[in-house]
Amino acid sequence: MKFNMPLVTLLTGAALGVGVLVVSMLGPSGTASASGYGATSAASATTAAAPPSASSAPGGASGAAPATTSATTPGTAPATTPGTAPGTGPATAPGTVPTATASVPKADIPPKADYVARTDSGGAAVAISVHAGKAVAYLCNGHAVAAWLRGTAKAGKLELTGKNGARLDVSYRTGKATGSIMADGTKYTFSAPLVHRGSSGHRPPGLYEATAMVSGVKIKAGWVVLPGGGQVGSVEYFADSAVTPTAQAPVLDLTTGTAQYDGVTLVASLISGLTGSGF
Amino acid sequence: MTAQPDASSPAPADVSLGIGKLVVPSLIGGLVALTLGIYGRLHHPTGVVESIAGFSSAGYAKSWLATVATVFAIVQVSSALVMYGKIPRVTAPSWIGSLHKWSGRIAFLVAVPVAVDCLYGLGFQTYSTRVLIHSLLGCAFFGAFTVKMLILPKRGLPGWTLPVAGAVVFTVLVGIWFTSAFWFFSTFGLHH
Repeated sequence: MKFNMPLVTLLTGAALGVGVLVVSMLGPSGTASASGYGATSAASATTAAAPPSASSAPGGASGAAPATTSATTPGTAPATTPGTAPGTGPATAPGTVPTATASVPKADIPPKADYVARTDSGGAAVAISVHAGKAVAYLCNGHAVAAWLRGTAKAGKLELTGKNGARLDVSYRTGKATGSIMADGTKYTFSAPLVHRGSSGHRPPGLYEATAMVSGVKIKAGWVVLPGGGQVGSVEYFADSAVTPTAQAPVLDLTTGTAQYDGVTLVASLISGLTGSGF
Repeated sequence: MTAQPDASSPAPADVSLGIGKLVVPSLIGGLVALTLGIYGRLHHPTGVVESIAGFSSAGYAKSWLATVATVFAIVQVSSALVMYGKIPRVTAPSWIGSLHKWSGRIAFLVAVPVAVDCLYGLGFQTYSTRVLIHSLLGCAFFGAFTVKMLILPKRGLPGWTLPVAGAVVFTVLVGIWFTSAFWFFSTFGLHH
């Protein structure tokens, strides 16, 4: 009896593929179910206003169509700027230390400021928050690109670095930060205006983050909420590891400050240079 | 040695019949590639993947497995060249056929878990040129490989079909490797 060996090879590969797929599907949820690790999650699973998890339709248009999925119910909730404002920033008064290494004088960094904007290309958005000598920046494209950068704001310069060689290069105009972020080997340029706190009932524009355990995996979501209610968010898996698979984040409900992800309520906290929360 | 013209060159009808045998395998291969791509696009990427023992992260495991597959693919092309007598002064040894078959099987079977991991954990993505090319080639590879496996046992095909199919499979695989493992290693280094 003679087998059709190429067909056997194909079928073996197909069987192997199905096997690995099944193991992948069963594995993580079977071994460890939500272990209550997420300090910022769990707790408020009472928020019934669950937005559609929005992760079903990638839509394909990452650049053109802004994700203006929020801001439909104005003024329903009081403007409770998310708390958790430890305000522990060391008051080193940035911008006053004249070490003057750069030959070209630039406008000093305001000691407390937040900037958000869409990037000029690539369909991403960026947020930069500066508070008392420290700075945080985040870039994401709503899909597989997400980069957190942290560092210092000293002597009129931001020194921020992130994983995998992420870099920020920025200069200041009045009320505006222009520059570029390197993330995942791609350069994103931007020109980001200062965020002005509106008095609407929604969470203000800015940078939001949430961490949680979902099916035994630590995830970290980040959203850039733009003036006008648009938002871009990505969620990273294995948040503590060097390589973090990244995908689209669920829509952040700006009235509750929460998002639903695979049955877990993510409670987002604002990283604000203005108030110092999240620093 | 004294090949008659009508014996060495098949009649036109036979040639068209031979090419006709490519239609169904090509359709099946296209269906495989499409299915993978559509699944990768529709399935919500979980990012959750089985960690493979001995590697510090899925990215390293996949990159090394992809490299292994590519090395075996190079063995594929080399052994095929020998089999077709394209290497001067090298006579094909008796085991070259087995080497060719088994290197191909290993390369394919090593590539399968990587592809499943990609499709299940990351999906079909388009956010950069590298990623778009990788997604397209990744789906195309399994389609092309399917075509090659399906036409292998067929007799009466034009002589160029297998070399062309093999070359396409190899080229696509190398493209996949360059847009994934090569990028990964040059970005993150060879080890953790």
